[in-house]
Amino acid sequence: MTELEKKVLSELQKGLKLETRPFKRIADICNISENEVLTIIKNNISNGIIRRMGVGLKPNKLGFKDNALVAFEVKPELVDSVGNFLANLKEVSHCYERECPPDWNYNLFAMIHAESKEELNTVIDNIIKQFGITNFKIFKTKQELKKSSVRYF
Amino acid sequence: MDEKDKEIIDLLQNRFPLSSEPYKDIGDKVWIDEVSVISRLARMFQDGAIRYIGPFFDGNKLGFSSCLAALDTPENNISFVTNIINSYDAVSHNYLRDGTPNIWFTVTAPTLEEQNKILQEIKEKTGVKEIKVFTAKKKFKTCVNPIKGVNHD
Repeated sequence: MTELEKKVLSELQKGLKLETRPFKRIADICNISENEVLTIIKNNISNGIIRRMGVGLKPNKLGFKDNALVAFEVKPELVDSVGNFLANLKEVSHCYERECPPDWNYNLFAMIHAESKEELNTVIDNIIKQFGITNFKIFKTKQELKKSSVRYF
Repeated sequence: MDEKDKEIIDLLQNRFPLSSEPYKDIGDKVWIDEVSVISRLARMFQDGAIRYIGPFFDGNKLGFSSCLAALDTPENNISFVTNIINSYDAVSHNYLRDGTPNIWFTVTAPTLEEQNKILQEIKEKTGVKEIKVFTAKKKFKTCVNPIKGVNHD
């Protein structure tokens, strides 16, 4: 990655302004054209360094009152099936298989967002019934203590 | 947040216009003018529903090391522990949850050594017996996109 690219990505990471030409502002700061900024973005989407362009949201402000991190114990041969199933649920925002400490058997983690306790339970019920999962732990979100973006540049 | 707001967010999440005037292009798709798009987004920033518009990076592709970590602490010690954890820029997310452990946070650092050093420091400063570390093995979904009533194609 060139120094120029780093500079552009670093400026982008500060967040786009709400103005007519937000990419032009970044172009001006970096002394390049707006088109060059857009090209750098597109290239870094293609190579996967930018996962996506989008919006950082606060789920609890969007009417999702009942959010939970749920950890399921899933047999290795079923991890892909359950993981893909979870990834397709609109209530699930994050889903990872994780390496766990020796005293911890819940290897598949999902963040589930629901509008009510009942909805949350229904979603979890569906998952465990679908795959015959017997062991899982629900860690309901009580309070957001910190939410920020990692500074990569 | 009304239906129009959700449509705007949906477009920004899934089809972010990489163009000179992105908010105008969004407006064209949802049949409102650019000024209305910008003022709606400004209101959502104000409300706290949105915290950021821009690129989301793949830390792994940039060589960063990250993990989910959890520790358990009594109710009366939560703010002490939180202050220590949150003091690290490498910690981007931190949540108080029901269950044991009750504090869940993420650490993202340029190297694995740096990540482990931060975890060790947090352990020493907080005086907790143990920090459980969960390293991602396989990613099934990583996109905070839980807007209901909007079709995601």
